[in-house]
Amino acid sequence: MILNLFSSSPRIIELCHQFPHGITDQVIQNDMPHMEAQQRAMAINRLLSMGQLDLLRSNAGLLYRIKESQNASKMKGSDNQEKLVYQIIEDAGNKGIWSRDIRYKSNLPLTEINKILKNLESKKLIKAVKSVAASKKKVYMLYNLQPDRSVTGGAWYSDQDFESEFVEVLNQQCFKFLQSKAEAARESKQNPMIQRNSSFASSHEVWKYICELGISKVELSMEDIETILNTLIYDGKVEMTIIAAKEGTVGSVDGQMKLYRAVSPLIQPTGLVRTPCGLCPVFDDCHEGGEISPSNCIYMTEWLEF
Amino acid sequence: MTQAEIKLCSLLLQEHFGEIVEKIGTYLIRTGTQPLRMIVNDTGLLLDQVKKALCVLIQHNLVTYQLQKRGFVEYEAQCKRVLRILRYPRYIYTAKTLYNDTGELIVEELLLNGKMTMSAVVRKVADRLTETMEDGKTMDYTDVSNTFVRLADTHFVQRCPLIPETPETPDAPPPPAPILVINEKDMYVVPRLNLIGKGKRRRSCDEEENGEHKAKKQKQDGESSEPPPDDGIYWQVNIDRFHQHFRDQGIVSAVANRMDQTSSEIVRTMLRMSEVTTSSSAPYTQPLSSNEIFRSLPAGYNIVKQVLDQYLTLLADDPLEFVGKSGDSGGGMYTVNLHKALASLATATLESIVEERFGSRCARIFRLLLRKKHLEQKQVEDFAMIPAKEAKDMLYKMLSENVVSLQEIPKTPDHAPSRTFYLYTVNILSSARMLLHRCYKSVANLIERRQYETKENKRLLEKSQRVEAILASMQATGAEDAQLQEIEEMITVPERQQLENLKRNVNKIDASENQVDETIFVLESFIESTMKKP
Repeated sequence: MILNLFSSSPRIIELCHQFPHGITDQVIQNDMPHMEAQQRAMAINRLLSMGQLDLLRSNAGLLYRIKESQNASKMKGSDNQEKLVYQIIEDAGNKGIWSRDIRYKSNLPLTEINKILKNLESKKLIKAVKSVAASKKKVYMLYNLQPDRSVTGGAWYSDQDFESEFVEVLNQQCFKFLQSKAEAARESKQNPMIQRNSSFASSHEVWKYICELGISKVELSMEDIETILNTLIYDGKVEMTIIAAKEGTVGSVDGQMKLYRAVSPLIQPTGLVRTPCGLCPVFDDCHEGGEISPSNCIYMTEWLEF
Repeated sequence: MTQAEIKLCSLLLQEHFGEIVEKIGTYLIRTGTQPLRMIVNDTGLLLDQVKKALCVLIQHNLVTYQLQKRGFVEYEAQCKRVLRILRYPRYIYTAKTLYNDTGELIVEELLLNGKMTMSAVVRKVADRLTETMEDGKTMDYTDVSNTFVRLADTHFVQRCPLIPETPETPDAPPPPAPILVINEKDMYVVPRLNLIGKGKRRRSCDEEENGEHKAKKQKQDGESSEPPPDDGIYWQVNIDRFHQHFRDQGIVSAVANRMDQTSSEIVRTMLRMSEVTTSSSAPYTQPLSSNEIFRSLPAGYNIVKQVLDQYLTLLADDPLEFVGKSGDSGGGMYTVNLHKALASLATATLESIVEERFGSRCARIFRLLLRKKHLEQKQVEDFAMIPAKEAKDMLYKMLSENVVSLQEIPKTPDHAPSRTFYLYTVNILSSARMLLHRCYKSVANLIERRQYETKENKRLLEKSQRVEAILASMQATGAEDAQLQEIEEMITVPERQQLENLKRNVNKIDASENQVDETIFVLESFIESTMKKP
């Protein structure tokens, strides 16, 4: 029987190599019909504890898969729990996983988890990355993985700080570019259709201009530029239209192109804000005969002396 | 009627008509429809005074009366109409730009007197114009009547409702309150009058002989006491038409700001063509074909038909959506989307108020919420590219001023805060109403401040008036320059400075009242247009 164990384990590994996606219990049974279920289970358990097989669950049942050799060597010194935690973190990919989630998935107590995480960190197998959404939260991921954009915030964040000046500078540059384009179009004095069309700039053009300007240390993608241009729309300085473009043309995404154009505001600042009452912070407290009243309003006095 | 509106109405009535009328007007606005007895009882004034005050108010269309079933008459004040008193200067100014001084004076006379017959208006205006002209020239009645006819043709003035000419049986007692009717067709028909004459100049005391001559002439006129031919046909200013004009102006200037001059001219032409065909509360103008527009363009604009078509296509495609294309016959049928235009103007007004009060970043958040309707806090930060702390601060500030509101969407039936979505949103209609209320209060504050400033310097004003009167009388009696100088020096230099300041302040406050009134107009038109839309 013991002989069987030693001889069947390499056979199982061979089978695993044959089917790199994993083999089910059924396959092993078919291959070695003389082996009993108990023996089979013992062999498989041995291979699992040696770290040569991976146990996976699929809808067909349990799958056994050969494990990569290098990983097997790394984990030599660690025990099962650490291996489990490592596996969970690996599965999380480049989004990382929070320590509480590790606890749920592995059912290990908190103290154990913390010890294991410290161990793994000192062995330089995993690292902690601070999330930009909640600054107290730390997510863990494999050491050599690049953290995902949603965790670090992408191009607008450098070390967890939102770079508002960078955004402002980009904002103004884009607006100046669009404004000068609209000016040039207006000067040309051709018929109105051409004038309007030439005052538009596609997002690709703006992206190229910003890249050439070289004010950004970080590589910016077209989506980043589009978010900047969207903020200009919310400032009321720019309007956008979407046109259908041929697939091949530069800058088109899914057969569409976004065009942006600088516009001037619809109306002058309205009448109410030209009086002190429009901007008064204590407006609701003001009434005749009270502490604050139109007769003794200091804002009005200043405004009248202006 | 909100408190702010009532306060503003009472201030306006007091400034224009005096204490008694103000008291009765405010009482009626506050308590609604009342019969004569109740007014007398509650205000504590004499019956005579109340009657006279009501006459004044009815004459100016500020109060209407109605015959109730029981046989007594009830009076109701029109609060909205009282608020229009604030806008009189704007009406007069518009008439001036359209029809020169003559039109300006006609509209001014009609506004000041409520209702007048055409002959009375013409006579008065001619007299006033003659005074301002050089010596020897007078204003002819025909010029004034022509301007009057033009005003009636463009519907700026209209006839007042009349007593119907039904043949009454002599036995039946006359009803306590006549019911006035006016035929739609007759509203702008000018009666055929033969107004011949010239304006009379009010001579100064120097020309004594002419004064005697004038006295004789006046007696002559007084003797010919036949009633003027248009007795009973009264005219009043058509306020809705002026409002239509202001609205058109607003739309045209918005198009000029967003696009260029030519486009705004095209829109102006379209609006002018629809002036009399579209009612003022319609959401769209009647469709106009591009050929018609081409024919009606003002003479100075010689653009080719193709260019016009291009402009119209551009206008129709613009994200502003002021102009829409409704068909292809006649070279393309285009309409002006009035409701959308008013909504855009009101939104721009709201945005500008938010920008001035809270800053341009808050304005960015405000516009973002307008576009995306409902957003979570995290999404607001992401879209607007504003750091989280600042965005939170701004959102809470705007929330406390009720410019934005929160919409709660619970995930669980127990509405636990940690398991609820909180979405920020902007409701344009309620924000517009709130800002309108603020405008009313601001105007009331400005009027009060103006009255306070005048009251503070009353003594000084009276003194300067006395000095002027003395100067005038001395000049008339032929005093020397030295004496005049002495009198003038009665007002010291710092006092003169103070007077200058006072005049400047009063003018400034007056001008800003008009500016706030412009905001009131935009917001009111928007609210009215939204409420009427089915």
